[in-house]
Amino acid sequence: MEAQKEAQRIMTMSVWKMYHSRMQRGGLRLHRSLQLSLVMRSARELYLSSKVETEETELSFAAAPLNLPQPMTAAEAGAEVDSPQAIEEAIPAPEPMETQDARETEPAPACSHLPPVTFATLPQLSMKANRKRRSCTLGQGRDAGLIPSKKARLEEETVPAEGKAEVEAGDLGRRPSQVEEGPFPSLARVLQKRFSGILNNTGGPPKPTAPPSCELKPGCRQADNMINILVRTVVAF
Amino acid sequence: DIISTVEFNHSGELLATGDKGGRVVIFQQEQENKTQTHSRGEYNVYSTFQSHEPEFDYLKSLEIEEKINKIRWLPQKNAAQFLLSTNDKTIKLWKISERDKRPEGYNLKEEDGRYRDPTTVTTLRVPVFRPMDLMVEASPRRIFANAHTYHINSISINSDYETYLSADDLRINLWHLEITDRSFNIVDIKPANMEELTEVITAAEFHPNSCNTFVYSSSKGTIRLCDMRASALCDRHSKLFEEPEDPSNRSFFSEIISSISDVKFSHSGRYMMTRDYLSVKIWDLNMENRPVETYQVHEYLRSKLCSLYENDCIFDKFECCWNGSDSVVMTGSYNNFFRMFDRNTKRDITLEASRENNKPRTVLKPRKVCASGKRKKDEISVDSLDFNKKILHTAWHPKENIIAVATTNNLYIFQDKVN
Repeated sequence: MEAQKEAQRIMTMSVWKMYHSRMQRGGLRLHRSLQLSLVMRSARELYLSSKVETEETELSFAAAPLNLPQPMTAAEAGAEVDSPQAIEEAIPAPEPMETQDARETEPAPACSHLPPVTFATLPQLSMKANRKRRSCTLGQGRDAGLIPSKKARLEEETVPAEGKAEVEAGDLGRRPSQVEEGPFPSLARVLQKRFSGILNNTGGPPKPTAPPSCELKPGCRQADNMINILVRTVVAF
Repeated sequence: DIISTVEFNHSGELLATGDKGGRVVIFQQEQENKTQTHSRGEYNVYSTFQSHEPEFDYLKSLEIEEKINKIRWLPQKNAAQFLLSTNDKTIKLWKISERDKRPEGYNLKEEDGRYRDPTTVTTLRVPVFRPMDLMVEASPRRIFANAHTYHINSISINSDYETYLSADDLRINLWHLEITDRSFNIVDIKPANMEELTEVITAAEFHPNSCNTFVYSSSKGTIRLCDMRASALCDRHSKLFEEPEDPSNRSFFSEIISSISDVKFSHSGRYMMTRDYLSVKIWDLNMENRPVETYQVHEYLRSKLCSLYENDCIFDKFECCWNGSDSVVMTGSYNNFFRMFDRNTKRDITLEASRENNKPRTVLKPRKVCASGKRKKDEISVDSLDFNKKILHTAWHPKENIIAVATTNNLYIFQDKVN
């Protein structure tokens, strides 16, 4: 538990540092970004491994359905501040949805909302911070997986983070029946899919198709289709 | 302003510093006073000039900092001095020359420069040079730009004195000092897919004697030695220096503290020294699998890595340097401490560069950090170290025991006691 908290704290810190490093004069430092992502990855691995250990205790939590928990906001805060750029920053869909097939469980402290950051798009973000998000113009083939597009994406890791997450949690009852248009349609769609799956007792989200880059990352758990977390290590210039 | 680099020239007479504002300040050692043989000359300001200005990359919407990352002196060939200075993107060759005479007695011009009315000229005279107050001029002779996509971290002049290398995070380029419009790329570690990037280049240096050999260090703690005779693109190393990690020291931050922040060849060329976050290692070029000597700079920080990550200190890039005879190495630490390790006696010393604690001409008192347990008198506990006071840049006179130590805003010059 302590290790988990510590790991989460470090991940939060790392996200903040990544964000702030973008604001620095002289632009993004590749070495610094790489080091931050390495720490993030270590923290994530520790977090996940300690999470697995405590998983049994979490299962006993009765939860208000689909309530995105407090701890998420801390982890999200770093990404949240980014909001114009936050679109491309990834947050996995709530873990309980991933780990329980048909159960509505409160994720509670086990907020595994690791805020992986998709570095590949960071430099592009800094340029386009104030522009409208264009779903296709930013993408090279490899970036396509990172940018939420208007098409429904199944369990893509790159669910955008946003401050509305908590609000949306409350709206989730309405979600299945309404498609959220607006700046972050993909989040809505993913949430919709997940939660409607739970509500309909369909056994949870379908197996995700791992993006190609996942195969290259030893830390990526393809086998674990319940945890869709992707950490990209690198800033592309 | 914040000092970002310190470098003695080849004779040791001149000491250049670069700062975050893009300025270069050069100090010159006074000529030894014949009557006072017990003290060597002091260093006084010789020249100050603005080397780099802030620029803006319109394509990427990024500001290019004017901070001077490195200065390297060229060996002196004539009366003028030359140095290379670099910021993140552009390298400049500066000529520093003295003027102590000026011509007087022109026929067509007055002394203040105004032109005389030709009709008033009735006689002719030959202009002569008369002494004037010494003026030191710095002028940019070459500008080497637009060759680096990433941030330049090193420059190193080849022993052929015609070429030099510049290294950024992913590439190393070879330049000729006379040619500014092109350079050769000799190392490129950029992966085809940037998402596969696992390491970056952190420092590079030419061998002091072999003009075909250079080394570059990486963020993973490895050093690669390359031979330019082997191929045009030195992506395959000739030697790889790497020490296996001690598994008992493994932690969250193991990877980032193993990143090498500086690499320096010994003057002899037989050894090289690397600095990572906690230690200094001496490598014999003939042995790749481990260093021949390892010196712990501030091992007491190993248990504080999390806090150091929080306050960003874990990213500090410390430099290191050799003395002229390669018998002592020096590097900086926190709390304005700097450390020297004598390779022969295996003794080390910690000294402090601060005005409060040391008056000029007093002998520096050795300092000690108490890692844990009862603190002895005069010891400083780890928790009371000031991590904002860091010594990242140090330099050692090539011939004498004179050292230059840069704290954040100040430059200290120490010399050993001459009896």
